[in-house]
Amino acid sequence: MLIIKLALRNLFRNTRRTLLTVLLIGCSLSALILTDAVLLGMVDVMIESLTKTLSGEAQVHRQGFTDNYDVDLYMPESASIESQLENDPSVAAYASRVISGGMISSSYNVGAGIIYGVDADQERHLSKLAAAITLGHYLEDANDILIGEPMAELLEIKLGDRVVITQAEANTGELSQALFRVAGIFKFGVRELDSNIVFINISQARKILGIKQGSHEIAILFHDVSSADLDPTGLLSSLTDDTTEALGWRALNKDIAAMLEMTNYSSLIVGAILFFLASLGVINSMFMSIYERIYEFGVAKAIGTRPFDLFQLIMVEALFLALLSCILGMSVGAILGEWYATNGIPLGEMEISGIAMNNNIPTVLASHQFTNFPVYVILLTLTAALYPARFAANIIPTDALHRSL
Amino acid sequence: MTNAVIKTIEVCRYFGEGETLVKAVEQVSITIEPGEFTAIIGPSGSGKSTLLHLVGGLDNPTSGVVELSGTNIANMSGAQISDFRRDHIGFVFQAYNLIPVLSAEENIEYIMLLQGIAGPARRQRVQDMLELVGLNDLGSRRPNQLSGGQQQRVAVARAMASHPDIILADEPTANLDSKTGIALLDVMKELNETHNMTFVFSTHDEKIMSRASRLIHMEDGAVVRDERR
Repeated sequence: MLIIKLALRNLFRNTRRTLLTVLLIGCSLSALILTDAVLLGMVDVMIESLTKTLSGEAQVHRQGFTDNYDVDLYMPESASIESQLENDPSVAAYASRVISGGMISSSYNVGAGIIYGVDADQERHLSKLAAAITLGHYLEDANDILIGEPMAELLEIKLGDRVVITQAEANTGELSQALFRVAGIFKFGVRELDSNIVFINISQARKILGIKQGSHEIAILFHDVSSADLDPTGLLSSLTDDTTEALGWRALNKDIAAMLEMTNYSSLIVGAILFFLASLGVINSMFMSIYERIYEFGVAKAIGTRPFDLFQLIMVEALFLALLSCILGMSVGAILGEWYATNGIPLGEMEISGIAMNNNIPTVLASHQFTNFPVYVILLTLTAALYPARFAANIIPTDALHRSL
Repeated sequence: MTNAVIKTIEVCRYFGEGETLVKAVEQVSITIEPGEFTAIIGPSGSGKSTLLHLVGGLDNPTSGVVELSGTNIANMSGAQISDFRRDHIGFVFQAYNLIPVLSAEENIEYIMLLQGIAGPARRQRVQDMLELVGLNDLGSRRPNQLSGGQQQRVAVARAMASHPDIILADEPTANLDSKTGIALLDVMKELNETHNMTFVFSTHDEKIMSRASRLIHMEDGAVVRDERR
């Protein structure tokens, strides 16, 4: 008990220095908590943006379709897959799509693009297509077409203008054409989507391609995004066989998934840098405290205090310093984290690896930030205090008594 | 057969080497008997403090033997010598003797905690020691709330609390005014006479010299005269 009493009182002998050190370590901890919370928030926003803009959290295709988007590789029995999705409790929404490349021509220009034939009702619940329309309206009539802003500029068209889509039919390869009227101009905020994709009704798409039924892709949204990884009802595995494959968003976007995984290491790197600097502060503070008390330690050793007792004393002082810092760091981290979780961090409109980030990023506070990180702080502070503690333990009484008088 | 508290045999303590070699203590052989009130005196740099540190186990001799209560302390390890000092030697230094964050009572209690003395006995002894040095009412005060003389009395009480064989005092009155110094010495002399406590001082204070039962004169690291009264 005496060692605890001594350590606590010693800690507040120089209140200003102790508070400055506590501020240094505490701010490092809160910075780490916030950094991690921002990264978690950014990952969540990126995943949401990636999956909810257009692609969904999982997709079902004919085996090999995603290799080169061969128009012949459609799923003729897609209706039965839709019926299975309809009955699966983990599925929140799904949308069938007919996808093919083609030429889009206006009176002034011509451009290549990807034609998405979509079910207007299904698509409304799955993607942000309806919300991305900046001019005009969503798909209503059979010959409506939705075009991205950059493509509209390229084709020099406006609402109500007519465009012609030219495609090769599935199976036969024969050229087929159809006339559409521009019903809406959209902007997802992702250049790749806005410049290259047009949307028409799925029935029209099937007609141009000569497909009576079926689709190339069924995009799925789950009630919980983790279902795409965990597949709790076995849906994705049941939809994967010799002819079809059902893949979650990570498998569909391997590069992006890998990049998101890398963000975990970002916290580690930021933490390492912050705590290296904080450790230097701890060492400095402890040494200053020891040098101020060197005569006192000389007397303490002279009257019979063992070297290990002094070592323990310094380590307990460091422990209290770390605990105080953790209280401060966790409090500041929680308050700021909570505030930014509600209000978000405004980043403006930006695109990272083809993912639109046009929302405020809300921070995500997680339990590990308040359990693991403080433990790291305590361990690192104690590690930083080892050297000063050893120095104090090895003080030679006669040297200490001579040095300070 | 002698029952000396301190016995040194041809003790030397050198600092530096070659041209910078300083012979702080040279071939000193002394014996201190129980109950003595001894002052080691001499001019500055004569080696009296170094000798006191050697017999207190704070420093190791370059050569020779230092025996405390019959135990050779020259080759003890760090923890062993710490324990030996704690149980057998009481120290009073020139100033800043006390741990500033502990009260007078806690400072006295500290050494008994190191000795592992149980709570009730410890607290009783703290009160006894404070009474011995006449500070019964000031036990709860911290060092910065005590005068220099009162602080030195607490240091004496702390030195006595561990029931040591000997108390070594290095210039204990150097930072005190004359009146306070005399009062402190009277306390120590009384403890010497009533409790047969052995005191060894390093000093050039006339007041201590006049009260000492033995004067060991040092010059250039060597004992030049040993005067018993």
